Amino acid sequence: MTRTILMASAALACLAGTGFADTSDKRIALSNNYAGNSWRQAMLESWAKVTGQAVTDGVVAAADAFTTAENQATEQAAQIQNMILQGYDAIVVNAASPTALNGAIKEACDAGIIVVSFDGIVDEPCAWRVAVDFEAMGKSQLDYLKTAMPDGGALLEIRGLAGVFVDDAISAGIHAGVEENPNFTIAGSVHGDWAQDVAQKAVAGILPSLPEIAAVVTQGGDGYGAAQAFAAAGRPTPIIIMGNRQDELKWWKEQKDANGYTTMSVSIAPGVSTLAFWVAQQILDGKDVPKDLTVPFLRIDQDTLEANLETTPEGGVANVEYSQEDAIQVIEAAK
Amino acid sequence: MKALNRPWAWSFLAAGLVWLATIWVTKGAASGGLTEAALTFAAFSVLVGIGQMFVITLGPGNIDLSVPATMTLAGTLALKLMDGAEGMVIPGLLATLGVGIAVGLANYALIKALRIPPIIATLSMSFIIQSIAIWSNRGIRIKPPESLASFTTSSTLTVPNVALVALAVSIAAWVLLNRSVYGRQVAAIGQSLPAARMAGVPVDGVRLATYVLCATLAALAGFLLSCFSGGAALNMGNEYLLMSIAVVVIGGSAVAGGDSNVPGIWGAGLFMFLIVSMLNTYQFQAGYRLILTGLIIIAVILLASGRKGGRP
Repeated sequence: MTRTILMASAALACLAGTGFADTSDKRIALSNNYAGNSWRQAMLESWAKVTGQAVTDGVVAAADAFTTAENQATEQAAQIQNMILQGYDAIVVNAASPTALNGAIKEACDAGIIVVSFDGIVDEPCAWRVAVDFEAMGKSQLDYLKTAMPDGGALLEIRGLAGVFVDDAISAGIHAGVEENPNFTIAGSVHGDWAQDVAQKAVAGILPSLPEIAAVVTQGGDGYGAAQAFAAAGRPTPIIIMGNRQDELKWWKEQKDANGYTTMSVSIAPGVSTLAFWVAQQILDGKDVPKDLTVPFLRIDQDTLEANLETTPEGGVANVEYSQEDAIQVIEAAK
Repeated sequence: MKALNRPWAWSFLAAGLVWLATIWVTKGAASGGLTEAALTFAAFSVLVGIGQMFVITLGPGNIDLSVPATMTLAGTLALKLMDGAEGMVIPGLLATLGVGIAVGLANYALIKALRIPPIIATLSMSFIIQSIAIWSNRGIRIKPPESLASFTTSSTLTVPNVALVALAVSIAAWVLLNRSVYGRQVAAIGQSLPAARMAGVPVDGVRLATYVLCATLAALAGFLLSCFSGGAALNMGNEYLLMSIAVVVIGGSAVAGGDSNVPGIWGAGLFMFLIVSMLNTYQFQAGYRLILTGLIIIAVILLASGRKGGRP
């Protein structure tokens, strides 16, 4: 009896969400290359939360997450081959390398499996890419500064880890923005490795040789360290663009309450894994989805600071989880 | 040229030249700020460097790779214990020293009781320590008490307070190394362990004390660093592993042990900070910057070891 009611309600749920029924027997796997920082931890949590609900609702049959231990392409390629053997219908992948997994990805495509890569994307043409426009993210910082300080000024650029393509892309966006706004000049540039303490040390080292700095352009995970370095040098605090980390938002809130400090914060929400999940679900559902999709940034401004700080866990990163409707919107926008 | 016969002279010479080259660009305007920043960050390198120096002096094979993890654990536990409360400063400091002593004892227990080489023992110990740090607080940033935060970030008579702490530790270390029985015993073990044993040096006691000393100084450095930068982070010790070894070598101490000096660690600590500042100030690309850093370090070590003439 209970069983019949359960099945009836499941059937109702399927009816309510149109198009759900087609993927209810499909199984999706997440292949993840790394879990060792707060961003990745939040990414996995979002996946578990959203896909767990989707499985309960009968949208898909399974959505299992697998993380490799060593962050190595060979290990991840073997993991993907296992997923092919296990008969998953779609594989969502955050890749250790844009090229080194291509062989395994091609095998999956040839076996009729849908492959959706996100964040760490792959360039094998048969896979879908949910990519971040890091260049636009860098440029958006200058767009903000242009309105915040129309007179311009000297900028200090804090870059990420040298040799990683994300660092080059964000920096290229920042430099393109500076070129468009000749009021601004980049007075100095250091590498902060996306870590607060490294950024603090690097900024402290170059600060004495710099003129007055109007603003600091960053890549995320380095804003708090920069603020500490300015304070230690006894310099006035410039506008420091933040990167959605909880310690950065907390510092911003304290400054805002104390002296009306204004800035903005931009980064990618770890919940992008759930967007990739829904994209895979839409493809399995037979929807026509372009191969290249772009993830929206998560931007926090003066008036949304409190709300975001409240929902961000201590030591974590500001996050949003995506719904099926969000995925459909992103797909429509790419067409 | 007689001064250059001192093994530590080259590191100071290198630091001075790099300082001048940096000031040159800014036409002297930055000299005060740059010196202050260099003294501050050199202080952390000096604290971990002195501990590592004593360990390296013990002779071939002796090294402590658990320095970064010890720094992280001490900073994490102490700040969590203090939780920003002024009254808890002394307990926080005691917890720091406790972490150092415990890590040192555990390191030597692995080396002695299980006969594991120090490089493996301290490396595996560092995984355990790092895991305890992650488990104890999940990397949540807790602010230090206001008095500690302002002490570590301010200066007395234009000298940063952390540099004064490091200077006091350095003087004590110099006396310990050059004027105490313990220091002579450390050097004797480094020059020849069998000979030291024959001469009646309590080899195990001295080695145990040295590993405890190294871990305690690393814990102190971690404590000060986390107060200085407004909270402990899980990756805050990372760069101090290579740094602690580099300042010993650049400072003119013998890598093979048995012959060390304290002043060189200061020269090397200042040099390691200033070289990055100089290349940043000259706006070198990251790739060239790393290559130049490597080349300059090799050059300084070659010059510093060239003084020995015929000795290998």
